[in-house]
Amino acid sequence: MDELKKIIVEFAETNKKTKFYFKDIEKAVQKVNSDAKMRDIKKACTALINEGTLIYFSTGSSTMYGLKGRGITEDPIT
Amino acid sequence: MPFEPKEPQKEIKYEETRIYTDAELNSYTDEELKNFRIKHAIPALEELESGPWPSFVADAKQEALHRRKLADNRMLIERDVVEDMLGQLQDSFDDGETHWKHGGIVGVFGYGGGVIGRYSDQPEKYPSIAHFHTIRVNQPASKFYNTDFLRTICDLWEYRGSGLMNLHGSTGDLVLLGTTTEQLEPIFFELTHVLGQDIGGSGSNLRTPSCCIGKARCEFACYDTQDLCYELTKYYQDELHRPAFPYKFKIKFDGCPNGCVASIARSDMSFIGTWRDNIRIDQKAVKAYLSGDVEPNGGAHQGRDWGKFDIQKEVLELCPTRCMSLVDNELRIDNQECTRCMHCINVMPMAIKPGKDNGVSILLGSKAPILAGAQMATLIVPFMKAEPPYDNIKDFIEKVWEFWMEEGKNRERLGELMQRTGLPKFLATIGLPPAPQMVKTPRENPYILWQEKDVPGGWNRDINAYRSRHKR
Repeated sequence: MDELKKIIVEFAETNKKTKFYFKDIEKAVQKVNSDAKMRDIKKACTALINEGTLIYFSTGSSTMYGLKGRGITEDPIT
Repeated sequence: MPFEPKEPQKEIKYEETRIYTDAELNSYTDEELKNFRIKHAIPALEELESGPWPSFVADAKQEALHRRKLADNRMLIERDVVEDMLGQLQDSFDDGETHWKHGGIVGVFGYGGGVIGRYSDQPEKYPSIAHFHTIRVNQPASKFYNTDFLRTICDLWEYRGSGLMNLHGSTGDLVLLGTTTEQLEPIFFELTHVLGQDIGGSGSNLRTPSCCIGKARCEFACYDTQDLCYELTKYYQDELHRPAFPYKFKIKFDGCPNGCVASIARSDMSFIGTWRDNIRIDQKAVKAYLSGDVEPNGGAHQGRDWGKFDIQKEVLELCPTRCMSLVDNELRIDNQECTRCMHCINVMPMAIKPGKDNGVSILLGSKAPILAGAQMATLIVPFMKAEPPYDNIKDFIEKVWEFWMEEGKNRERLGELMQRTGLPKFLATIGLPPAPQMVKTPRENPYILWQEKDVPGGWNRDINAYRSRHKR
């Protein structure tokens, strides 16, 4: 789990985009660790969300993940 | 058998949960409402009120007047939200484009769905709706509420939101329209800890599963839609709240082919109740319909003189497969030809009933036209039993998800993926044999794609031997 979390954070820190579909994260993780299973990647993402490292970005119809502090990560109004 | 909840149910009593007094809830007269004008000119919206149907504009005006009458400390977001919402809608009518921006990072802690960020792109003109987020609340199965619950929700939303709500959204949720970011967590706490409710699905999640009234009130229901809907909602909580799908995924449950929740057109995975034995016929009741002792259609067409019930014209000739006949006042049905259109059952419910060996048909891939065009579902499983603990259904769902999550592109619905890959590959992946029921016109369309391994000798042949038998 820790290894997956590390790969996800590295990807989210270095990619030129700041918001990612889950599939993008899955591909990035499997590039580094081809044995990583989708369910485990999801669990790692959920753990990062609960820690406050990652945030959800939702358009209402689809959802992306982003790294807190990179790109738009606060409600623009508050 | 009376309903017995599986788990202890929290009883909500409005007298204990209410926020507003009766005087605050009944704060204006009809005369005041008639003379009430909101602070923006909304001629195009008022035009909507002149039509034959009740208008949301009239409802919104009532709410705007109600908010004007409330004391300042009796609501936690701006008083003017409803008036500003109407004003901005008028602008949208004038401009022919929306002034809502959507999407963002708003949500409640740990949840990836249920809250949809909405922002005005004219915050200077309409400051009270600068942020106006939507919250989806997971509806109970079949949308059965009592008034204590509804009044409590209304009070909560008046106090912490705009007071505007939509019962129900297309997904099935209660849709609470318009609140500010700082109210999201308190509302979530009230909903979950006080009212025992959960928020619904949005984004790339499993959307809140939705079902018809099922066996609770309908004799046609071929399986317990409420039980299956509730079971899958509980079982797939992670999919509902933590998004990892390529796009949205909707599951809906119709108890019979009448399709009261229209699952066939509105859900990625549609469960429709059906039977695999024979339709039950009560010949005595058939005679009662023929003699006029029993009203056809459950008496739904009373009030006008439609003439005597004509079974030939109103039932037999309307059967799409002509599988019914009346011989010596005895009704006969060639069950093999029945396509489950439900017409005869609807017209003569006392005489004709669905069979007793019940289950579900599962159809996949319908969608509304956001990206590619609208699509109806394709029948994939003609019949499957639907009995607790529903392991067979869960296995099937997970196979489909596995394929979609593996092969689906970002923002690609299941129906689009099935179209892109083709039915043969899809069926092979989920391990189902092709069947004629999967094709609209199986006598005309090929539904079996031969694989090389299935053909003796494969694709190779001796052309000279062939030519010796078939001259050019």
